[in-house]
Amino acid sequence: MPPSLCANCETTRAVIIRPKNRQKLCKTCFLTIFETEVHETITSSSLFHRNERIAIGASGGKDSTVLASVMKTLNERYDYGLQLCLLSIDEGIKGYRDDSLETVKRNAVQYDMPLEIVGYGELYGWTMDQVVAQVGKKGNCTYCGVFRRQALDRGAARLGIKHVVTGHNADDVAETVMMNLLRGDLPRLSRGTSIVTDSGASDIKRSKPLKYAYEKEIVLYAHHKKLDYFSTECIYSPEAFRGSARTLIKDLEKIRPSSILDIVKSGEDMALLVPPEVNGGTKKPAAAAVAAEDDTPGGCGSQNGRSSGGEMAEMEKKLAEDDTAASRETEIQLPAAAPKKKTKNPDKSRTPKQVKAQSMGKCERCGYISSQKICKACSLLEGLNKNRPKTAIEVGVGMEDEESSSTLMRQMEQVQLTSG
Amino acid sequence: MPAKELESPCVDCGDAEFVVDVRSRRLCKWELRQLLIWDPTSHRPCYERYVSLKVLRRIENYRRPKSVPKGQPYKLLLPLSFGLSSSVMLHAMNAQLERQLSKPYPMVGFELHVLVIEPSSISPSSASAEQRFGLLQKNFPRHSYKMLPFHSIYEYEPTVQDIMTQFAGEGFVDDGSLSHKERLDAFRASITTATAKADVDQILLNRLVVSYAKELNCDAILWGDSDSRLAAKTLANVAKGRGSALTWQVSDGKSPSGLEFNFPLRDLFQAELHSYANLIPELMAIIIPDEPPLENTLTKNLSIDELMMRYVQTHGEKYPGVMANVTRTANKLQPAAVSAGARRCAFCDAFMRDSEEQSEFCYACARSRPDSAC
Repeated sequence: MPPSLCANCETTRAVIIRPKNRQKLCKTCFLTIFETEVHETITSSSLFHRNERIAIGASGGKDSTVLASVMKTLNERYDYGLQLCLLSIDEGIKGYRDDSLETVKRNAVQYDMPLEIVGYGELYGWTMDQVVAQVGKKGNCTYCGVFRRQALDRGAARLGIKHVVTGHNADDVAETVMMNLLRGDLPRLSRGTSIVTDSGASDIKRSKPLKYAYEKEIVLYAHHKKLDYFSTECIYSPEAFRGSARTLIKDLEKIRPSSILDIVKSGEDMALLVPPEVNGGTKKPAAAAVAAEDDTPGGCGSQNGRSSGGEMAEMEKKLAEDDTAASRETEIQLPAAAPKKKTKNPDKSRTPKQVKAQSMGKCERCGYISSQKICKACSLLEGLNKNRPKTAIEVGVGMEDEESSSTLMRQMEQVQLTSG
Repeated sequence: MPAKELESPCVDCGDAEFVVDVRSRRLCKWELRQLLIWDPTSHRPCYERYVSLKVLRRIENYRRPKSVPKGQPYKLLLPLSFGLSSSVMLHAMNAQLERQLSKPYPMVGFELHVLVIEPSSISPSSASAEQRFGLLQKNFPRHSYKMLPFHSIYEYEPTVQDIMTQFAGEGFVDDGSLSHKERLDAFRASITTATAKADVDQILLNRLVVSYAKELNCDAILWGDSDSRLAAKTLANVAKGRGSALTWQVSDGKSPSGLEFNFPLRDLFQAELHSYANLIPELMAIIIPDEPPLENTLTKNLSIDELMMRYVQTHGEKYPGVMANVTRTANKLQPAAVSAGARRCAFCDAFMRDSEEQSEFCYACARSRPDSAC
């Protein structure tokens, strides 16, 4: 059988079967097509304007490395006139982040972009390793997710940049749609698929130019472009719903490769059908959703479907309790003359102030935007810090130098555990 | 009489050991027989009563809409597949009607028409349903019955031939000289993947049911999907790009065809329907048992619908509430306001957005076309 030719240029030998539609392509055509598709995503949703300064959220992983490379290429090819720089978060996970940060530093040189690194340690006084030592391996993704979101904003603010692009790909977005459906989370279902998320009162917006790019194609792109990236996944375990959604999507992709895009499309369509009162009062189209500081808990998306299932079991228990409670419920009808004070179903009531639209204010402690008095990060920190002094005193490490001594502290804690 | 020492008494009567754990309620064999036949003197095991009550309550909640004027009949079409769910639904609806008629001043809320699409005309491996169909009419004589072969879609929907030809593209030539059955078989054979086959069959069956309902001037169609089916259907629709169709595919409400779609069994688990059917011998004679799922099929050879059913079943064992909640979440979506002249997909009838490509077929149907690249 003669080698098949590239379906696009019909001259060179095809070496790639596109995961998205099984089209056979040569290397050059694949790279160009991939870039052009990202360009189309960018132009069709008018993501950027000339002279805009853009921070690329860079983790050193494949998605953000490809994003940085493609952004640089497109910026030069189509003359976007953007000023690009890299912004990295150091979560403080030994054996994972410290190595990947080295990759980002090399990328900064390769792409000739300035690099800013913001650490959890300096920002919150807690590295992820310390958080895990404190809260255990379960549920630590919530901390990481909440902290990262703020850290990105703060890093951008430090650079005076108002737009952060992240490497979320189509698989991530599809996964989020499925996850929010399984979790019954309508507000997030309505904003999870939008390409741009404005973060309420803060003027830093986020966008995902790789929203329609397949994870597998990103890997292929990185491979054929010989990009320097770090391929180890986060060592901590994922949240159960995300893990379950991920396995489901991998199976779906085997059956019908287009289903990832189909889920994204379904997600966008469903976002328009979410009732406005759930949506936070504004029925905005999917183009620009408003995200509070809490958009996706546990959403670092670098896990492999390993999961403890704890969150699912928890929700199951809650739902079962609701169910039993509902069967004991008695409907009480107030006389018609009396004004209805509390109605269970917001749809049926006429009183306007039923569902409180989230109003954004500032966190009393750190000044970060928040719908609550105290932002999510600060309330998580409060919980962490409550238990800290004891440990710190026992180990004998002051708050100032904890960054350098996190390993020591963990070791000491382990010693205590085993001896006790 | 001294009280018996019971290890785990039934939560309802407290007089007997529990035999069944239904949604964490441990019920004995003796409390509930009367509810099925609505006779408080008879003795039915608690769990049986619970199960039948649960089914009947759901149906009882099902009322004709207030908008239908009194005195005017409310016509319902019940498509019956001889599967567990639709058969149980027929029995429960029938019981409901009997109860209404047994009152001193009968107030009958609805009239029921049953449509069976001959199972052997859908899948050649199914046996002919003639005998079951006869049994049906004998056991539930109050309703009207009709059995149609799948290929009668050509009679009820004359436009479908052209649509099929366009849909299938170049690989399929419609030969008008063949019988309807052969033409339909040829069209179905032109669809390549398992997912597309299941999708296309479902759409055609729906079309046939809807057009029959329209011919009878029915007001609504009662679909027999249980809660696990609906959860699987929700996930499958999302995975096939049919997210916007959820408002009528799994929620009660008006479908694009103008008919009401209702899902009275939406809160019932498959296990509960099983227990119900097991109580009623005449029902067991009608039901065609589900084929056991093929354990060793490779994931990539499944259809998306099968994959989702499998997913919901395996997870439903451990987390039934989470799975049921998927449908409830989808039910909260509000149907989009559509203008009178909104475009509709020529194949599945769903409304299309203006932004959608200028094709006759919607995004999701285009995916199932044989010439689609995926």
